[in-house]
Amino acid sequence: MEKILVVDDMEINRAILAEGFKDAYTILEAENGEEAMEILKREPISAVLLDLIMPVRDGISVLQEMNELGMVLHIPVFIITAANEDELLMKAYNLGAVDVIVKPFLMNFLRCRISNVIELYKHRNDLEALVKEQVERLETINQSMVETLATLIEFRDCESGEHVKRICGLTEILMNAASEMYPEYRLPQAEIDKIVTASVLHDVGKIAIPDNILQKPGRLTKEEFEIMKQHTTRGCDILQKIPDIMDSDIYNYSYDIARHHHERWDGRGYPDGLKGDEITIWSQVVAVADVYDALTSPRVYKAAFSHEKAVEMIYNGECGVFNPKVLEVFKQNIDKIRK
Amino acid sequence: MALMEELQALGVNTDEALSRFMNNAGLYQRMLGKFIDNAEKVQVLPFLEAGDLETAQNNAHTLKGVTGNLSLTPLYAGYSDMMVAFRAGEPEKAKQKLLEILPVQEQILDCIRKNQ
Repeated sequence: MEKILVVDDMEINRAILAEGFKDAYTILEAENGEEAMEILKREPISAVLLDLIMPVRDGISVLQEMNELGMVLHIPVFIITAANEDELLMKAYNLGAVDVIVKPFLMNFLRCRISNVIELYKHRNDLEALVKEQVERLETINQSMVETLATLIEFRDCESGEHVKRICGLTEILMNAASEMYPEYRLPQAEIDKIVTASVLHDVGKIAIPDNILQKPGRLTKEEFEIMKQHTTRGCDILQKIPDIMDSDIYNYSYDIARHHHERWDGRGYPDGLKGDEITIWSQVVAVADVYDALTSPRVYKAAFSHEKAVEMIYNGECGVFNPKVLEVFKQNIDKIRK
Repeated sequence: MALMEELQALGVNTDEALSRFMNNAGLYQRMLGKFIDNAEKVQVLPFLEAGDLETAQNNAHTLKGVTGNLSLTPLYAGYSDMMVAFRAGEPEKAKQKLLEILPVQEQILDCIRKNQ
């Protein structure tokens, strides 16, 4: 049976409520606020009937703690009153009390009202749990759609799918470190998680690049390179057509990263020639991660460089100029990156 | 039942009370017994006389609730009037009201004691 907690210093009042509800609920009784709080922390309670003026600890103080603990959102609290306590009642309502029970009790009405509210809260609590579960499921589905898309691109690119995983890993390390080291790049963990997911799609535009360029075993001609560069803007075209497969924040990050992960700090990157912090920190981070991974991996047109050689080339600006702060982040996390 | 009839003669609305106690007459009687204790422990007059208005008011408030729930109608009406007087900042009037109902309270308590 569900439990109702009756809190009143007068046994007569508790006895009437206990008698009135005992056929449908298990009744727990407390003589003051302190006993009430102990029970609330120990047992799942479906409703609290709470007197305000009590010795040891009064009802307002109980409500205050229930409010701070977020209990009032899930447990309906009824205030027991003999009227003429308007100010106290207002205080109680403001702290999250759901309704008042006026003495002398009208038991028939009271039974209906209280069980109605208990049902309502139960329904609401169930719905909340259900929504939470569905949001989690949706997030999982979103994530796997995004990953599926990325796998398709890799497949075209004749890569194993490891590149995308490594970019995610590097993005996660570098974003977390940048957020910790520089206040101007500080982001909540939830945002960093979204950026990591979004980084998967940085090369989505490669799907639109012809095979003879994408898979050419040698240097690209100037014309071919111009076409290759279009994978940034074509990536955005593709994302624009499928915005609904992901969360709108992840969409915005993916769009930005797909477009700007080849921009450079000095403005000599592409496609927009953005300069400095005109480039978002997440696109800057994916850019350096992408370069490091390209250098340390074998490609159809080159062998893999060693970690040391790759790091040296990045620091020397051989792959374009990066934000000194991002390079510092990179330097300080070199051991994690190597793994 | 002698107790119920005697209480009715003193103005107590026993029918209303019994329906509040889900027609459990035994429980009602037990709680009337509790009221003997309450009336002893929760006093108003000594605090009024000592000038402790806050305690006097709190206790009158408690007694209003209890007498209401036991349907001790004349006492409930009296304590309700007292609360109005307290609220209006007229403790003298509250005291006057209390002195009016205390003899009635004694009669009711006697009746309960006798039938315990």
